[in-house]
Amino acid sequence: MKIQKRLYSYYLIWPALLIYSIFFVLPALIGLYYSFTDWRLDRLEINFVGWDNFTRIFTDDTLLLALKNTFIFAVATVVGKNVLGIALAVALNMRLKTRNLLRAIFYSPSILSILVIGIVFTPLLRTEGAVNRILESIGLHGLSQAWLTDPSIVIWTIAAVSIWQTTGFQMAIYLAGLQSISKDYYEAATIDGATSWKSFRHITLPLLLPAININVMLTLIGGLKVFSEVFILTGGGPGNASQVFGTIILRTFGEGSWGLGTAINTLLFAFVAVISIPLLIFMRRKEVSE
Amino acid sequence: MGYTRRLQIRNYIVEALLILLSLLIILPLLLMVFGSFMNSTEVLRFTLALPEKWLFSNYVTVFEQGGLGRAFLNSIIITGISSIVNVVTSSAASFILVRRDTKLASALYLFFFMGLIAPMSVITTIRVVQWLGFYGSVTSVIFIYAALNTAFSVFLYSGFIRTIPKALDEVAFLEGANMFDVFFRIITPLILPVNATVAIMVFMSVWNDITIPIYFLTDSSTWTMPLSIYNFYGLYSRDWNLIFADLVMTSLPVLILYILAQKYIVSGLTAGAVKG
Repeated sequence: MKIQKRLYSYYLIWPALLIYSIFFVLPALIGLYYSFTDWRLDRLEINFVGWDNFTRIFTDDTLLLALKNTFIFAVATVVGKNVLGIALAVALNMRLKTRNLLRAIFYSPSILSILVIGIVFTPLLRTEGAVNRILESIGLHGLSQAWLTDPSIVIWTIAAVSIWQTTGFQMAIYLAGLQSISKDYYEAATIDGATSWKSFRHITLPLLLPAININVMLTLIGGLKVFSEVFILTGGGPGNASQVFGTIILRTFGEGSWGLGTAINTLLFAFVAVISIPLLIFMRRKEVSE
Repeated sequence: MGYTRRLQIRNYIVEALLILLSLLIILPLLLMVFGSFMNSTEVLRFTLALPEKWLFSNYVTVFEQGGLGRAFLNSIIITGISSIVNVVTSSAASFILVRRDTKLASALYLFFFMGLIAPMSVITTIRVVQWLGFYGSVTSVIFIYAALNTAFSVFLYSGFIRTIPKALDEVAFLEGANMFDVFFRIITPLILPVNATVAIMVFMSVWNDITIPIYFLTDSSTWTMPLSIYNFYGLYSRDWNLIFADLVMTSLPVLILYILAQKYIVSGLTAGAVKG
């Protein structure tokens, strides 16, 4: 032990530890404290107000809507990106002539900035935009929508754009997972007369579990932290119809109600932790037992 | 019909479907690329067509009007330095965390790991940066990006360094080497591919990011490409040809990096998928 201490000194940890602690952990801890105060831009003194900020989040209509939207976005993108991601990966793991090209095409939007994707989709999603024109030209008039201006669907539209953009990223992780599964399992299954669905259900899915694990975590955490997608596509509008926690925090920052803003952030952290930590532990266990 | 024949037909059907589906990805991107060469009335039709005349001048116009030269430089400085800082500090930290099997080391690993889950607290980060006296500066943004990416990088490096046998270090120590020799002359050469993966992933996410610049870069002379373009989009929302040219320009660096460094991106993804 003593030798270990001398040979591997903690010196080398300090730079990373300092940067991470000062610019990430310290603000998070201070935020925890400020979320129980009435910290405002226009007031010098800061008072402790207990759970007031949190009560306000659960009673204010706009904040409740933002809470609901955050969850709709998170769930919709977790399901969409993972179901489509697995489907694409399985299909692109088959012996197809164009598969390398297709993989690159499906992956490509995820390397671009959401700024680029959001701005390109804005004119396409207008009422008279290309998406509706295409739907009408193939006879699906009923499906044409005011995608970004109808309050009842706008958050779903934003989720769809996000799914469009980054499903390819999930696909790539699933492909890597699929390639680590030995072909022997499938051969044995075919000899035993298993259908494709059965081999998918009993071989592919269980052995893909580590990849599913990491992908669900990534999409869930990313979904709850959503900001840029909404900011670029609608700015939270029309009215407040597509506000999420991320955009509300920007607004509270602009208005100077910083105590409330940090409280929203604390709540977001609580949600992410409560959902993801048990999920992490559960998935680890499942992985070992499979 | 034989089994292989049936399999072949199935593959053809799947391939045809996938090619159709891929149009859904390609067409909006082509619309942007073609639109960036059109004149300002032609582009407003938002239909997929080749430009009547290829106006390369759109690119010159946005470069001059949008102040993109400066923005490009800011983006390169912020993205480049934060990637380098992140690579050096995270790999060094992971080396020690992995090699020391003490309770403190595993506690520290968990401390870093929490950063993968916790959302950033923006408003109080601004406060901390103000206390330190450099709010609004490029330097503050570099440190913030390095901090934000630490968790992910430590996670990736630790997984890899764990596979390097400790015996390698021990031999070197017996030969009289110190920790720095071991880290820089034995470990670093072995983790060069991981360095590339981490650097590229950090570079891409920082280059594309818009959140941090919105909060932290208050002065337009420090703006990054995406923020300048967002601002240009607000001001010139009628000139879609110029907006599209802007978008293509900000996408080019990551696109080039992707084409050149595909193999490192794939290996990063594989590490995630296999280790979980």
